[in-house]
Amino acid sequence: MVDVGGHMPERRIKDHPVLEFERGNEFYFDYEGKKVKAYEGETIASALYADGLRKFTESKLLERPRGFFCAIGKCSSCIMSVDGVPHTRTCVVLAKEGMKVENQGARPKFPFIEVEKGKRLERDIGIAIVGGGPAGLTAAIIAAEHGADVHLFDEGDKLGGQLVKQTHQFFGSHTEDAGIRGIHIADELIERAQELGVEFHNRSTVLGFYPERTIAVERDNRFEIYNTEGIIYATGAIENFLAFENNDLPGVYGAGGVQTLMNEQGIVPGEKVLMIGSGNVGVIVSYQLIQAGVDVVEVVEALPEIGGYQVHASKLRRAGVPINTRHTIKKALGEEKVEGAIVQKIDENWQPIEGTEREVECDVICIAVGLHPDNEFLRQAGCEMEYIRELGGYVPKRTEDMRTTTERVYVAGDSAGIEEATVAALEGKIAGAALTEEVYGSSKELEKKKEEAKKSLEQMRMGPYGEAPRQGVKMCTVDEEVC
Amino acid sequence: MSEEAGVVIIGAGVNGLGTAYHLGKMGYDDVVVLDKSYICSGASGRNGGGIRQQWTSEENIKLALESRKMFEKLNEELEQDLEFYQGGYLVLAFDEDESKDFKKNVKLQNSLGVESQYLTPEEAKEIVPELNISDVVAATFNQTDGTIYPFKVVNGYANRVREMGIDIRDHTEVLDIVTEGDEIKKVKTEAGDIKTDTVVNAAGGWSSQIAEMAGAEIPNKPVRHEIMVTEPYKRFLEPMVISFKHGIYFSQSEHGNVVGGMGNPDEEVGVNQTGSLWFMKNFSKTLIDFIPRFSGVNMIRQWAGLYDTTPDAQPILGTVPEVERFYQINGFSGHGFMVSPVVDKVTAELILGKEPSMDIDRLSVDRFEADDFEAEGAVVG
Repeated sequence: MVDVGGHMPERRIKDHPVLEFERGNEFYFDYEGKKVKAYEGETIASALYADGLRKFTESKLLERPRGFFCAIGKCSSCIMSVDGVPHTRTCVVLAKEGMKVENQGARPKFPFIEVEKGKRLERDIGIAIVGGGPAGLTAAIIAAEHGADVHLFDEGDKLGGQLVKQTHQFFGSHTEDAGIRGIHIADELIERAQELGVEFHNRSTVLGFYPERTIAVERDNRFEIYNTEGIIYATGAIENFLAFENNDLPGVYGAGGVQTLMNEQGIVPGEKVLMIGSGNVGVIVSYQLIQAGVDVVEVVEALPEIGGYQVHASKLRRAGVPINTRHTIKKALGEEKVEGAIVQKIDENWQPIEGTEREVECDVICIAVGLHPDNEFLRQAGCEMEYIRELGGYVPKRTEDMRTTTERVYVAGDSAGIEEATVAALEGKIAGAALTEEVYGSSKELEKKKEEAKKSLEQMRMGPYGEAPRQGVKMCTVDEEVC
Repeated sequence: MSEEAGVVIIGAGVNGLGTAYHLGKMGYDDVVVLDKSYICSGASGRNGGGIRQQWTSEENIKLALESRKMFEKLNEELEQDLEFYQGGYLVLAFDEDESKDFKKNVKLQNSLGVESQYLTPEEAKEIVPELNISDVVAATFNQTDGTIYPFKVVNGYANRVREMGIDIRDHTEVLDIVTEGDEIKKVKTEAGDIKTDTVVNAAGGWSSQIAEMAGAEIPNKPVRHEIMVTEPYKRFLEPMVISFKHGIYFSQSEHGNVVGGMGNPDEEVGVNQTGSLWFMKNFSKTLIDFIPRFSGVNMIRQWAGLYDTTPDAQPILGTVPEVERFYQINGFSGHGFMVSPVVDKVTAELILGKEPSMDIDRLSVDRFEADDFEAEGAVVG
């Protein structure tokens, strides 16, 4: 860690073997009367984090400290008052010069905000796609290529979903984008969608689904209504969490949150990281932490063997990081933030073995124990859901065309079941093609592209790692007549 | 497999479980409570938690007054903080007719022991400084009204009922009630039959369906009503604010969130518990008209529940003419939670053949046959 200015370690990454961080203009905003440095393109939460802040707010009922956690606007642990607007998710709002940010405490004051009066926006549109990750983008592209009026909604300022934090190279024998890093794939997709005239609705939270395919959207504190011809839900996933003592302390982060902070915003999460979980995400993020100059003190894994690809695990071993299987975390140490952890061994029945407790020195505990589909909207839209363990949780029943049991409502990507980005992109293509056919009529070319994507998807799931999703998908795929 | 129970209660909401609680308290535990979904899944878990004594009919005022007194002691009985906050109910009048009625209501309420007051718009603004009073003509206020946290009440009953040895079976749908002549023989459920001669119909929006199974007729009709919750704030709103003219009500919970609902006059009869865009649009607009500063607040959730409505907006209690020992505790028309303590107690007393602590004869279903009823005027939402 580079020490600048005497006392404060520099948390913004300068040298990175893979990434280059082109920071924009430097400016300052106000946090509780203190000047905080930020660069153009940084979120409020990232800038505050780089400044050393750990406690962002307090829980409403227990008034315990709450910190940065998911970094993508899903967990509400970083809500603060920004320019008088309470409950602002600081991880998805960009910092601006002169902004006034305050810790709102457990319960903020009733706000005094002048909301501009005017007619409520209500529009009739063609296809609405919710979520601008790989699935949403490929769906938008294929639909727009065939003349559809396509609107892409995303909560964030930037599109690309979780691709933008994936700095590793994609691989696999049939992967279309093998060898390319996720961040570059996202840029290409966004550019293509833009060329085709897809209308982007950034900073737009889709709040609800109403009969006849109307969606309600919140954008910049305004309520908008869109009456659509068809909808594709591609809202991705939410990180799983683990139950252990003190698991709500600032410093306990989701692996995705760490990736966003580190790979997208260029800020290291801390100095010593304890990684929980050795699946693909656990081992990849561990390696990315090392690349960013952070010490990964240990990886613990409850299973008897490492879950992720051996290639990544070997890299960790070469870097001297111990991976302890049949281990779990017992508790996080610290009062206001993580100051260590207790880990222990577990037996064949997953029970902790007494007397094996051991203290680990760390300031960050990174949780990488999987994801579950984010698809509450589909439930609201009346789609029949089914619990499929192999796909990470509840998923909608769907046809091979990715059509749900609700008319003209399609699904793609992790919200249809946890798999990989490449699968998400292929499912997006299939859903985009099928909905375009349904709304605008069929064409030979569209049909051909759809069938090709289905074939690629089948091949993707052929390998040993595709076994679980292949079984899972089989269980929730239904015939055309059922939907 | 066939089993027996002294009493089968259908519906694990506040009134089903409250009745079970009073039966247990009176020393009777041969009771099974059934619900086709989870505990508190119906209107008991979907309402705004309002406790109001400002009614227009003598029956409702008496039930609400006695219930409020019982709610005040319920923390102690259920051994937990039920978050009963007595910030009052502020009822707003928007025209001269309403204002005239309000004067009459206050007189009746006062005569029965409810200490409500008639206020000018300026006096109302003193209670809620954020209130836009430009169209308000008058108001009434009663300090001992308030709000309670419904889930805690219902779960509190459930815990005590289980401790008493009473069986609560959730996710167990009633399929039929078998009768012979005018006697109940058994209740058929998706998990087997239960022999019994006594059934309590506490099924809320599904009460008419349950009555039909036993060959009885009640006039209840389910109607959807919608509600929402905002982000939490430090307390800035003391009372529940309501308007019959706009059909709106809202209050701030102990957690800081504002909870409020509004009725749609064009709502159709039927079992529908989905949130509508109509509600999102119209509730938010009306709320901002009442308190302009709400324009800077986000809703975090909307949902809907069923009012089990009757022709006079008053509950149906006691037995029915067609079948013996088939007790009704339904038709509350949107205020089943706030009058639950006393009606649950009286229902338990009737089942056990005890002298009822309050006369509820006028609330039996017979009143519709005899055409002897007067509609409650103070229904909101």
